[in-house]
Amino acid sequence: MGKPKAIVDRNICLACGGCISVCPQDALSMFGGRALVTEEKCISCAICIRICPIGAISGRYAANEI
Amino acid sequence: MKYDVVIVGAGPAGTVTARFAAESGAKVLIIERRQEIGVPVLCGEGVSRKIDEWGMLEGKRWIACNMEGARIFSPDGTMVKLSAEMAGNETGYVVYRDIFDQELARQAAKAGAKIVMNTNAIDLLREKDKIIGVKAKQYDDEIEIEADIVVGTDGVESKIGQWAGIDTRLDPKDLETCCQYTLTNIDCKEAYCDFYLGNKIAPGGYIWVFPKGKDVANVGIGVLGNLSEAGMPKKLLDQFIANNPRLKNGNPIRFLAGAVPVANPVETVKDNIILVGDSARQVDPITGGGLTHCLEAGKIAGETIGMAIEQQQFDKETLSSYETGWKEAFGKKLKRNYMVKEIFLDFDDKTLNMLADSLKDIKFDEISTFALVKALVLKHPTLLMKLRPLMKISSEA
Repeated sequence: MGKPKAIVDRNICLACGGCISVCPQDALSMFGGRALVTEEKCISCAICIRICPIGAISGRYAANEI
Repeated sequence: MKYDVVIVGAGPAGTVTARFAAESGAKVLIIERRQEIGVPVLCGEGVSRKIDEWGMLEGKRWIACNMEGARIFSPDGTMVKLSAEMAGNETGYVVYRDIFDQELARQAAKAGAKIVMNTNAIDLLREKDKIIGVKAKQYDDEIEIEADIVVGTDGVESKIGQWAGIDTRLDPKDLETCCQYTLTNIDCKEAYCDFYLGNKIAPGGYIWVFPKGKDVANVGIGVLGNLSEAGMPKKLLDQFIANNPRLKNGNPIRFLAGAVPVANPVETVKDNIILVGDSARQVDPITGGGLTHCLEAGKIAGETIGMAIEQQQFDKETLSSYETGWKEAFGKKLKRNYMVKEIFLDFDDKTLNMLADSLKDIKFDEISTFALVKALVLKHPTLLMKLRPLMKISSEA
């Protein structure tokens, strides 16, 4: 089983862009006014999870691993 | 659709660049992914009165409050008062950033720049290796916008820089992760911008209280990325407000999150590319203030664009007069303050308290650096060791 991938709770995210600016894999972008993770690019480093000021990002196992 | 310049992002950096480019004859398009300029307000809303000299804004509608100065509180509550002139780039006016940004956009439009909203850049447009514009998504349509110069004023999360091959990725230690309330029903009759320091209050950052009226203020926090954890800024800010007699009865009318680069600036020009503002990391690493810089840099960028169009030269060498210009204006200060930031980070709460205790009775408008250091060290001799690297930097500057 791999490590959990980052997922943004779109109900909490306020689109500050902090997570996008620190992602080492360019796996985050702004989409429809909220941050969005491209799962295939995410390397589970969790930097975005730690950086989010309001706790809108958490780790989740990919659907095929549950 | 072919323009001389396409500017990605209609914040202050983008609209000021647009205005001065348009005034020097360029055909300018600004694209903005949001549906309202200036909203959401990702900012503490403090700015120096230095902006008056530049005359970029008309009227007074964008001013919420005139500030007399700043008060800095050390972890044990010791207060150091600074006049507005001494307090740096964030004290002078507290502004309504939404109106402020819209006024700058109005000036850009008046100069002839075209603004389109709901248009999100998704990639650079290239012909072989040459950048010839941007691809954007406008509602559900993908459009191509051709331009000789692409300006990235797309903020802290800048993609334009990255797509053009500039490494804009931030190390967490070079990012302040922030959130803020606009609080009403509080007491802020005194016209001071307040800053609260301490490793338990805001690790590697500070909490600010900037009055926007007698009973309303912008109250926020910045925590340094590498010292933060998921949701920590919000938790610490809520805790601070709940325990502060002046704020605890406040009611929020706005809640926002933000991210501020406190990094060394990046490369700001490439062939056919210019970066201005947060995307170029033109932010004071000590205070996190960037408004004055991006207005100053935007003007230089706009004028450089005018010159480039006159010469029909869009290579890095031609555009680099922008980079030389902004570095002359404030580049040295940013570099020095980045070093000072690193030194400050080593200060524990005890050192901050000693510093504040030494500084609290000094009148800052009438003191030399020498007298300041003497006063500091006389009161707390152990500060000498801690301050030595700072003195070295200030003597080199």
